[in-house]
Amino acid sequence: MNYYLTYFIVAVGLFSFSAFFALFGVYAERKISAFIQDRLGPTETGKFGSLQTLADILKMIQKELIIPAAADKWLFMLAPAVIFIAVYMGFAALPWAPGLVPSKINLGIYYIFAIISIETLGILMAGWGSNNKYSILGAMRSAAQIISYEIPAGFAIISVVMIAQSLDLQVVAAQQGVLSAEKIKFVGFWDVTNIGGFFSWNIFRAPHLIIAFVIYFIASLAESNRAPFDIPEAESELVAGFHTEFTGIRFALVFLAEYSMMFLVSMIGVILFLGAWNSPLPNIGSVHLATWTTGMGWGILWVTLKTLGLVAVQMWIRWTLPRFRVDQLMNLCWKVLTPLAFICMLISGIWRLWLM
Amino acid sequence: MSLVRVLFYLMSFIAIASALYAASTKNLVRSIFVFFVTLFALAGLYVLALADFVAVTQVVIYVGGILVLILFAFMLSGKETLDVMQQQKGKFLSLAKLPAILLSVAFFIVLINVIIKADADNLTWVKDAINLKNTIAPNDVMIDNIGVNLMTRYLLPFEAISILLLMALVGAAHLSRKEGSKA
Repeated sequence: MNYYLTYFIVAVGLFSFSAFFALFGVYAERKISAFIQDRLGPTETGKFGSLQTLADILKMIQKELIIPAAADKWLFMLAPAVIFIAVYMGFAALPWAPGLVPSKINLGIYYIFAIISIETLGILMAGWGSNNKYSILGAMRSAAQIISYEIPAGFAIISVVMIAQSLDLQVVAAQQGVLSAEKIKFVGFWDVTNIGGFFSWNIFRAPHLIIAFVIYFIASLAESNRAPFDIPEAESELVAGFHTEFTGIRFALVFLAEYSMMFLVSMIGVILFLGAWNSPLPNIGSVHLATWTTGMGWGILWVTLKTLGLVAVQMWIRWTLPRFRVDQLMNLCWKVLTPLAFICMLISGIWRLWLM
Repeated sequence: MSLVRVLFYLMSFIAIASALYAASTKNLVRSIFVFFVTLFALAGLYVLALADFVAVTQVVIYVGGILVLILFAFMLSGKETLDVMQQQKGKFLSLAKLPAILLSVAFFIVLINVIIKADADNLTWVKDAINLKNTIAPNDVMIDNIGVNLMTRYLLPFEAISILLLMALVGAAHLSRKEGSKA
């Protein structure tokens, strides 16, 4: 019975983590956008406005839940839950530190890839259920975009999996540092198995994975509907896209899903390409920095820091680049990213056969 | 009852109930969304049968691909067409549907017959496998096995399917061409 109790505790822990991250993320987004646009951002509530998001969520919980008269009631009510649960279930297979993973699945990355695609269904549910032209247009755009960008993202992931020879994220993570059981070569020739640090990260183990990482990162922006790929909720055309009609706690759930998705895709990127929970510091001679800074606590610290770094880049991009047009978006996906991802996969195969 | 057995009955119940609802409801969009529940419960049953790769593939292909495409087709078609389709005459069971009912009942009898005749509890190949310890444990990695088999024993069907998909792609590209530009 204790066994099942642990599962419940882990699940509740992950939920509260994603809720806490959404609060922190919204605050960070406001401050970063303010910095980029030379404003101050929130300043009134709490020191430096740090309690602003807490006040916002309190306001949202108190708001009335409005269901439009012409809406499909069940679809409308269930949609935010489906959207959030799809993202939340993805967290189950992500490793945080050596030996610390909520659920040990040997299909890890494939499972996450599958479960994220359910989000599309939730978005279509929201769009159709609202019975609003703007909502349905936003939902259609979102679904088209997510389905298209899953292809380059998938091939970028496959090119890593071909190098790592495993779908288990814990195995992929362990290969990229001093705890590795097999031999690691930096750029295919320098043996760094005992040196570790950033030399043994996947993007440096096989340098073409840098391209794969960029492809994955661009595609992950599109999959989490972030700018410059935010045409599903383009304010100037569609009011707010698929979540136009949602109020109160339902709107909060949609928002929570968006921020959890940002963290999830960044963390997958970190685990697959940027050394997961491994330390960036290498062993130098008798100064064993990598060995000292690898472990349970350090693992959580490194993976969180790297992921937050990627999330910060996502925010930076959002407030720097203007929005794409639909045709530009599809051109980028099908004519640039997909062929490049195919080439990466091809190089991965050759690399695995001849250089490893 | 063990937890696995409880889960099995729960998943089976969800799958059957949602499938019945999807077949009987008049609201087409809801029927598609309930079909998603059916597919998800089926994926759960695959997991209980230790076919986790099949389960995840089911979610990727049916939920992420086919269901979304059906919904797409649905939302792109006009509201008038949909209203006509939704206003079917008569009740769930009626004389006009007699051929369909006959066909489905006959098929149901065949299926029941197959299950009883197969006698799943004493299959010889299952017993042989248990005697030879040729079984799968819940923690085994099965992907290598699937990959090797696809590339050796089932290579011909695999390639045949890829040619079929290529044909579908060529057909779709041909259909979506602009009219008039003869080449």
